[in-house]
Amino acid sequence: MLEIKNLHAKVGDKEILKGLNLTIQTGEVHAIMGPNGCGKSTLSSVIVGHPSYTVTEGEILFKGKNLLKMAPDERANSGIFLAFQYPIELPGVGMAQFLKTALNTKRKFLGQDPMDAVQFMKYMNLRAKALDISPEMLKRSVNVGFSGGEKKRLETFQMAMLEPDLCILDEMDSGLDVDALKVVGQAVSVMREKHRSFMIITHHDDLLQYVKPDKVSVMRDGQVLTTGSADLVKEIEAKGYDKF
Amino acid sequence: MTNSNPFLIHEQKGTDIQNPMDGQWVFNVQKDGFLRADFLQMDQNLNVLVVLAGEGAKCQINCGYLINKCNKININIKVLHKVKNTTSIQQIKGLVADSGCVDFVGTIEIPKDSQKCDGRQNHRAVLLSPKAIVSATPQLEIWADDVQCAHGSAVGPLDKNQLFYLQARGLTQKEARRLLLQSFLGDLMSTEFDAIISKWVDENV
Repeated sequence: MLEIKNLHAKVGDKEILKGLNLTIQTGEVHAIMGPNGCGKSTLSSVIVGHPSYTVTEGEILFKGKNLLKMAPDERANSGIFLAFQYPIELPGVGMAQFLKTALNTKRKFLGQDPMDAVQFMKYMNLRAKALDISPEMLKRSVNVGFSGGEKKRLETFQMAMLEPDLCILDEMDSGLDVDALKVVGQAVSVMREKHRSFMIITHHDDLLQYVKPDKVSVMRDGQVLTTGSADLVKEIEAKGYDKF
Repeated sequence: MTNSNPFLIHEQKGTDIQNPMDGQWVFNVQKDGFLRADFLQMDQNLNVLVVLAGEGAKCQINCGYLINKCNKININIKVLHKVKNTTSIQQIKGLVADSGCVDFVGTIEIPKDSQKCDGRQNHRAVLLSPKAIVSATPQLEIWADDVQCAHGSAVGPLDKNQLFYLQARGLTQKEARRLLLQSFLGDLMSTEFDAIISKWVDENV
């Protein structure tokens, strides 16, 4: 699904990723763990094509295609979804209108017919119900006036709506209480399928108590140091990152 | 009433309305009266004077502007809180493309005997070209001491983080700009203006 080879990236003049290698197989839930400042969030930003980061060396293949040549919208429509650590507020943009535009843009990209208003509402209400998103939340502007936990639930909801192939969750568990963590964990479990991969970025094991990863990679200083099974999580919790 | 740019007297009670010429308006809101008026300026100057003439009078003036090409317009909105216990809101939002130029002056006047008044003014503009110019001058003439007053103004390009968030959800940069610009003004103006706003945004995005 995703293959990253010798990736170097900088923001301004500062090199943050320093020769990173990572492979995520189709159907895999892969946790990326590491201390603050190791480049985890930079990695997710580079994958989705954030303009603040420059790739200086290396390559990223997504489903065999050169990702670095694609614009951010092309990457999204090809099946990559980033659940933002800090979701952006869009005053005046209603959630339903936003999601309908995004969904139909993706359908057009894939050569499918657009959903009309009725089909879309049915599709949306079904998913909203499953994730405990109230109709009132959908009537409001995107992310405006919501708590941190609600914003992250809405990110998960957008993920369920757009049905991506690769879901990247960037520090989804920071600032979430136990109930919100359960909802996010539940969403991942429901969406976990053979054709879909997850990249879960985190620096502690809160969310991983609800989502058991197939693989865990430990990052430090812009590189992946080691990749192993879910047992690595316990090792990190017991001994900290200094061991690696 | 004449005005070649679109407007809407959205709601009014106890208000005397004068419109002596294109783009010139005088509203007198009497005791416990109410006025909400929306203006959308596209190539014409606007001069609005609202006199809150009776206790309990309230007004809300929503003014949008869409300016492109080499058009240059002046917008003057003044609310006079002539008596105590009156309330006003002025909301002004605009998009300026090409070499468009807007000079906005917004005045709230509260004479010294008009205690317990509340006057608010907010102005925001998005510049769509490096040649676009917006000048905003809020004028607060507050002589009474027991009043509430607030004003703010922000002018700049579209927010890069908002644009990127929409692109990360699959919208092209152009679609993202279109959605953000439409929502920016659509948020303020009555739905009656939606079609005009989206047509302008489509042509100038």
